[in-house]
Amino acid sequence: MYRYDEFDARIVSERVSQFRGQVKRRMAGTLLEDEFKPLRLQNGVYLQLHAYMLRVAIPYGQLSGRQLRQLAIVARDYDRNYGHFTTRQNIQFNWVALKDIPDVLAKLAEVEMHAIQTSGNCIRNVTSDHYAGATKDELMDPRPWCEIIRQWSTFHPEFAFLPRKFKIAVTAAEHDRAAIRVHDIGLHIRKRGDVVGFEVHVGGGQGRTPHLATLVNEFVPEAQLLDYLEAIMRVYNRFGRRDNKYKARIKILVSELGEAEFRRLVEEEYAAQRENEKIDLPQAEIDRIHAYFAPPELAAKPDKSSAFEALKAEDTEFARWARINLHPHKTPGYTSITVSLKPIGGLAGDATDAQMMTVAHLAETYAYDDIRVSHAQNLVLPHVALDDLPDVYRELKAAGLHTANESLITDMIVCPGLDYCNLANARSIPVGQAVQEVFADPDYQEDIGRLHINISGCINACGHHHVGHIGILGVDKKGEEFYQITFGGRADEKAAIGDIAGPGLKADDVPGALKRVVDTYRELRADKGELFIETLARLGHDPFKEALYAAG
Amino acid sequence: MTSVRPKLKPDTPKAVTAWETATGQNVWMAADGSWTQDVSKVAAFTGDEAEARLADAQTQEGIVTDPYFMEVTETGEITGRETLRETIRAKGPTVSYGEGV
Repeated sequence: MYRYDEFDARIVSERVSQFRGQVKRRMAGTLLEDEFKPLRLQNGVYLQLHAYMLRVAIPYGQLSGRQLRQLAIVARDYDRNYGHFTTRQNIQFNWVALKDIPDVLAKLAEVEMHAIQTSGNCIRNVTSDHYAGATKDELMDPRPWCEIIRQWSTFHPEFAFLPRKFKIAVTAAEHDRAAIRVHDIGLHIRKRGDVVGFEVHVGGGQGRTPHLATLVNEFVPEAQLLDYLEAIMRVYNRFGRRDNKYKARIKILVSELGEAEFRRLVEEEYAAQRENEKIDLPQAEIDRIHAYFAPPELAAKPDKSSAFEALKAEDTEFARWARINLHPHKTPGYTSITVSLKPIGGLAGDATDAQMMTVAHLAETYAYDDIRVSHAQNLVLPHVALDDLPDVYRELKAAGLHTANESLITDMIVCPGLDYCNLANARSIPVGQAVQEVFADPDYQEDIGRLHINISGCINACGHHHVGHIGILGVDKKGEEFYQITFGGRADEKAAIGDIAGPGLKADDVPGALKRVVDTYRELRADKGELFIETLARLGHDPFKEALYAAG
Repeated sequence: MTSVRPKLKPDTPKAVTAWETATGQNVWMAADGSWTQDVSKVAAFTGDEAEARLADAQTQEGIVTDPYFMEVTETGEITGRETLRETIRAKGPTVSYGEGV
């Protein structure tokens, strides 16, 4: 992984000192909240329903054991013994006191972490495939490019005050696990002959006006990537709306200008950029960053592991976990593990300090000190030998981290909702838990197969409801919570925005209604291999709407 | 302002609530104008007095942040359209969290 150089370390440390002074002045009342707010947001500090919330950056979701252990220490010493992993592959602490935040940031700086650009109208954490560098189906490891973009965008003086926040995702796999089509910029790494380049999608996003990104350029060669990104950002910075917060994202600009005009403006800016101040990346610099992401030296192993096969044969629970939570690794004898943070009745994405310590230990002992946070709010150990799976599983089980539900119906993306969030209109977590309960039976879940349910507690869509196969949106109707259901969304390479099924449901009615929908799918699917989303596409939404609103 | 809440009529009983600046904890204004973390000690105000109390809170920047009106009954119980939000704010999340799960 990338390691700080002396400049990185100094910048982060100086930022901690600067923020310490700002907090001191805020508490003295000499800095007013209206003045302080943009400063705290630049350091990842929100004021939520109950307390301040600190969002810490985890670049493209990658952590070392030492870093995760430090996050556990922060959770234990400054929060309420847990943290919440987010869809931006970051972590949030929900109860941290403002007076302590400078100390927390100093602790993070000790392990090369910070909270810079995790909020505000700037380029946020660049996200990526959580199996990057390990998965069989990738063209190459996208993380070096995430790091290059991170370095370019961090403290970029021109892009510190954009019209709105800005999110970039990068993938290099055919199966898109980074949701690039619902990002402000989504990059897909491609190759033409020997030349590496990027397919550039612009103007995707969720929130109150969901859009899928437009393919703006099919191939930008790698050396010119930053020039091209710079051109997009300049067009956005110049023409993006600042008069209306709800129309300020680049998706609105692309939509209002139209694809052709937006592309023309970008090309014009790009040409000027190439003429006047091009920033061609030298190959030596590309190579230097790539060197930080050299694959671990995995000892050669046979395809099959006798220890793994033996435990599968004797322990059906382990066998189920292995069927569901493992992802094929590019190296024979190895696998990637999803550590589910979605136990039935738990809080999606939450991990206690003790659980974080367990995963840190496992990473250091068995997984080449590499941990990822997935945008679906789980943790991943990307490089684990099949031989070590029995030991890893035993430790995960002891820590309550062995839920076998990766990409199954109970592996829901759930925003904090009205239980924590100052913007939410309705609760998400208890509804998510109630939905999990009706699908809790492991055989039932496995029979249903891959089905993504995503829940948001307001139209800002932090719970990605627009791209859930089934989406749930909490709304407030005269003080009462209702839940609107959408069908047909997806975040992968066949990205789609879900369609609203009809009137909202009361919270208590949601689990039963979804069970009817899912059971209808089980009756109507062509065969067991046809996913819910495929049956929905084949038959249309009507049978499922009918099931949704049938008398319970 | 972080929190934009619905407008309340002058004669609607209301309490003043905010976040303690140093910690972020929720606080409510008691009858004597002091801040309490105990929502049962909240005082209900109306009319000009309510406006004066809010204005006073807004001058206490180092102590509290983003004070606003919250609808209550005459005896200080949370009521009105934002009952759920304000109850969660007063009592905490409706779900167990952390080691309590």
